[in-house]
Amino acid sequence: MLIDFRFKALDPIRTYVNWILRPLEYVMMMPRNALEATSEYFTTRSTLDQENQIMKVRQAELSLLANQSEFLMVENQNLRELMALQKQVPFKTLPVEILFNPPNPISQRIVINRGSNDGLKLGNPIANDSGILGQVVRLYERSAEVSLLEDRDFAVPVQVARNGLRAAVFGTGRGNPLELRYLPVASDLEVGDILLTSGIDGVYPPGFAVAVISKIERNVDKNSSNVFCVPVAAVNRYRQALALLYDPQFDAKAPTNNKSATGVTNTPGRRQTRARGMQ
Amino acid sequence: MIDFQSGYILRPVNPVFIYFSLFCALLLNLLPIGNYGWVPDWLILCIVFWNIHQHRYVSVITAFILGLMMDVHNSDLLGLHAFSYSLVAYVAISWHRRIVALTVLSQALHLLPIFLLVSLFPVLAHWLLSGELYWWALTGAIQALIEAMLWPIATRILLAPQRRPIDVDHNRPL
Repeated sequence: MLIDFRFKALDPIRTYVNWILRPLEYVMMMPRNALEATSEYFTTRSTLDQENQIMKVRQAELSLLANQSEFLMVENQNLRELMALQKQVPFKTLPVEILFNPPNPISQRIVINRGSNDGLKLGNPIANDSGILGQVVRLYERSAEVSLLEDRDFAVPVQVARNGLRAAVFGTGRGNPLELRYLPVASDLEVGDILLTSGIDGVYPPGFAVAVISKIERNVDKNSSNVFCVPVAAVNRYRQALALLYDPQFDAKAPTNNKSATGVTNTPGRRQTRARGMQ
Repeated sequence: MIDFQSGYILRPVNPVFIYFSLFCALLLNLLPIGNYGWVPDWLILCIVFWNIHQHRYVSVITAFILGLMMDVHNSDLLGLHAFSYSLVAYVAISWHRRIVALTVLSQALHLLPIFLLVSLFPVLAHWLLSGELYWWALTGAIQALIEAMLWPIATRILLAPQRRPIDVDHNRPL
């Protein structure tokens, strides 16, 4: 137990046991999937019609948005180039399916059906259509474990959408609201503010919705405020999600990549800078 | 072995049935029910049953291996279930002479602390490692209660093959 906790030395054992166990887990998921499939099969015509109508409206809205966003993105990149700012890193998405929710009293995790064979990396964020769900914390070949936003002490760096205030959202355990920590009393926050990922950690791409502030308790004596928020994405509801294969490649990570772009000699101890607007 | 409930001598156990029941319990544990505290741990029920009734077949080592599997499934620290299962298997084996002689209901009552130990062990281990005690995780006690209530049913099902009569008269089946 301690060996696993401190050194991660037992990962091969875990991989082998998982290799045996995963087919059995798939087998035991069959009854639930069959149940869901039948209940879907027997949905009435009117619900399908209704759903279709909503989908069409949604699609029209989205295609309009997509047309505009292409234009905005190009404009944004050009402006950034003019201002000599770093370009936004593009990233790929990978559709994943949530397999099950392992019973564990302490952590709050899900298992998804994509792993290192599909290009998933440790630390990749998982999101659904409304916002961030969590982050990959353990990787197998064909599956991965994802820590959810609600997991205790799970931190996401965020930015308040209204005024750009930076903070960090922390999970507090199953069923409890998320917490915004380390903020002074006088910070400009309101109930209903949307928190977006700020992207300063290099794990989450910037601009994804994470949570909405639901309650603020200001404590003047201690000069601190307890801010509670609810996650935007329905964390425990849907089976489909997207993995964001986001890798901003900060300069400390791969020294071989950015040799040619800059004229800086590779002296030891000197921090390498990378060319602006790479990729 | 003598069945203390009915006073009859039981038929010898079939090892294949033991391993089959353990496998079924493992499969039941893999059912994607969700992360709820009260879902009974079928595997430990089965392990403790065979520890008490047939400790020559299901030993601490079997409990350890099955616990390792549950660790991987639950994405716990490797060894958390393995240790608690083997600890409980040891306790159950050392108590088996006393417990077999009791009635089924008082057996369930005697086994309640064992089940409590298994359900609360992850929380306690986490308490020792990080110094934080999660009070809401103590709902695992409900799981232990449910397992203790399932004990009479488990006894009925798992002892059924051994309670079959030895010479069946096909002309008069009862």
